[in-house]
Amino acid sequence: MASRLNKSKSKVFFRMKTSQVDSNSKLQLNICHLYPDLMDTYGDRGNIIAVVKRCQWRGIDVTVSNISVGDSLSTSHFDFDFFFFGGGQDIQQEIVGKDLQKKAKDLKRAVEQESVILSICGGYQLLQNYFKTLDGKMIKGIGIFDAHTIGSTTRMIQNLLIKINPTIQSEISEAYTSLRGAEQRSNLKTEIKDSFASLRMTGEETILIGFENHSGKTFLGSNLKPLGKVIKGSGNNGEDGTEGAVYKNAFGCYLHGSLLPKNPHFADYLISKALERRYGEIKLEPLDDSIEWQAHKQAINRPQSQ
Amino acid sequence: MDFRFLTAVLLGKTVSHLIRFTGGGGTAAPGYYALKIDPNLTQKLAKNLDKNILVSGTNGKTTTSRLISQILSQKHQVVHNRQGSNLIRGIASTLLKNSSIKKQNGIGIWEVDEAALAEAVAQTSPDIIVFLNLFRDQLDRYGEVNSLRTKWQKIVSTLPKSTTLILNADDPGISYLAKFAKCKVAFFGIQDKKINLPEVSNVGDTRYCPNCSQKLIYSIQFSSHIGHYQCSNCGFKRPKPQISASNLKFSPDFSTTVQFTIHYSLFTIHYNLPGLYNVYNVLAACAVSSALQITSAEIKTKIASFSPAFGRFQKIKVKNKNILIFLVKNPTGTNEVLRTLATQKNLNLLTILNDNYADGKDVSWIWDTNWEIVVPSVKNISVSGIRGWDLANRLKYAGFKLNKNSVYKDINYSIEKSLEKLNSNDTLIILPTYTALLSVQKTLNKLGGNLKWHQD
Repeated sequence: MASRLNKSKSKVFFRMKTSQVDSNSKLQLNICHLYPDLMDTYGDRGNIIAVVKRCQWRGIDVTVSNISVGDSLSTSHFDFDFFFFGGGQDIQQEIVGKDLQKKAKDLKRAVEQESVILSICGGYQLLQNYFKTLDGKMIKGIGIFDAHTIGSTTRMIQNLLIKINPTIQSEISEAYTSLRGAEQRSNLKTEIKDSFASLRMTGEETILIGFENHSGKTFLGSNLKPLGKVIKGSGNNGEDGTEGAVYKNAFGCYLHGSLLPKNPHFADYLISKALERRYGEIKLEPLDDSIEWQAHKQAINRPQSQ
Repeated sequence: MDFRFLTAVLLGKTVSHLIRFTGGGGTAAPGYYALKIDPNLTQKLAKNLDKNILVSGTNGKTTTSRLISQILSQKHQVVHNRQGSNLIRGIASTLLKNSSIKKQNGIGIWEVDEAALAEAVAQTSPDIIVFLNLFRDQLDRYGEVNSLRTKWQKIVSTLPKSTTLILNADDPGISYLAKFAKCKVAFFGIQDKKINLPEVSNVGDTRYCPNCSQKLIYSIQFSSHIGHYQCSNCGFKRPKPQISASNLKFSPDFSTTVQFTIHYSLFTIHYNLPGLYNVYNVLAACAVSSALQITSAEIKTKIASFSPAFGRFQKIKVKNKNILIFLVKNPTGTNEVLRTLATQKNLNLLTILNDNYADGKDVSWIWDTNWEIVVPSVKNISVSGIRGWDLANRLKYAGFKLNKNSVYKDINYSIEKSLEKLNSNDTLIILPTYTALLSVQKTLNKLGGNLKWHQD
């Protein structure tokens, strides 16, 4: 299956890691799953499953390397395009926090070289400057995001609906096309719009739906972009209406769910970003995402999310 | 005279009769109202019993306490919250219905919700407590595994010397509780070094030492973080179980043959429950029975004739079609069911996912379930429930070919349709979450299943 469409459109960016693309060679995406044995509490594994499947369905080769406590990133066999870092239990977060310091240099370099990182909940918190727990303990992060988290007594547990930051939104629309017919597509768009008429939603590709479950409140530094604006739920801290963070291709958020399987636009956006680093601009082959969008819609329509 | 207590009992008994009279299902309601009048009602009623036994843990509470009840009932009068209403009000309701305000002979068998355990211990002053296992479950309700275990450690440390603690040796998070106990402890576990079931890619919640946070080393991992483990750093390791199972044989008809060792007595039992998880349930029931001086021969007979409860592997015939129901509610429990199903062929499945409070509002857990392993075993699969599309999406990524017609909005209709499509010799296997199970029960009753689960 031809996995790279619109070859004429592809251009090679001048990036350090960009290699010559042989037009016959298959695309390959190398994924690093950070601490899968410790930061795996909230079903975030679904994000890895989504990326792997959506690549395989398009004939893109995928490798997944599990990197945990004591494993080295710099001696790894692969040059990783995509890092995933999920949420874990508090005590496990401490174990990971310590080990992560040893991987800080490599991870920071990867971010500067535009690898994609998706971090969720505990993973997101550890990529910040620090996490101060409720009883005053400081867990040092690695400062990829200029942000910090403070433990609180309230646990924020609910469906979380956000409107994606407009600067990313346009890139998502460009990266994502779905196979569904135009009519079907606009029908669903209307349905989603209808259920959120009062919220003046503009369309399916502008929002993300997930489930948050955290007591840490995250505050972003002044130059750090949020991933989006909270429509329903608490988001970063339940106070300033922001959710998540974006620095280069590093993304952090509180969206479990799993996030990517029922937000296919965001999944494809991250996949193209990760591939572009190596192959230049990529137009992904569209997939039939009817089931994904139904799941998306059903989650949005749950009463507790409203 | 304790008038508050007497009024509470009277009110509770009245509500209980009214419910029975109207045929309602609210098993916790009598206790709920009576506790409003006398908050110490449970304590006052429970102390009139000879003994109280508590069973807690993430998976297997209902089956284990039913097994215990079945074994003990040949010698003792038992009072048991057998419908699975396992909060304090459920215990109070059962006590109201079955006990008197005077001293009576009998043993209280109480399955207790993990989060209600501290209160249940305070109210019933148990003689025996069974801890089955601890896995992630409805994180929006229970919180994380480690924080729950810390609470349990506190509970265990307050138990008097006269209590007997029965612990799963193969779950490091459970066996670790022994460190905090001043009382007697008995361990149960599986001795085999190999399990004849398909592998699942598992999520474990206690893979790092609960004592020193170093990685645990497993010589065999049965499921999740359950197995034979040892800490490389502090010496914490799986204790040797006094009540153990070996030579596990799982049959295609969902029955199991196991060799049990209770202290030094060895015997083989064949029973009608599938899967690894039920071996642990049977082991725990053996441990309790043996602590109460029931002989191995008596235990063996009762386990061999046991039939399971309310959606926990339940066989039913409706409109001449066979139905089998497995409750699925958290990753490890579901993975164990899927593992059991993966040994079969040509299955017809109906899977139902709800996200009401009792199911857990967060459906993320379905991504920790290993549907991939049953794909080759399935002939037909359909999906329903409030979050049916989320589940359909999970199944799609597991490798099932689904389309719009595989997903039903209405649970009722999904069952009728699935039965309609079923060949007469086939079995429909229904996998519902907790509140979906209640809907399944209603629908099957309407279709003539006549399932009196609440009276059971």
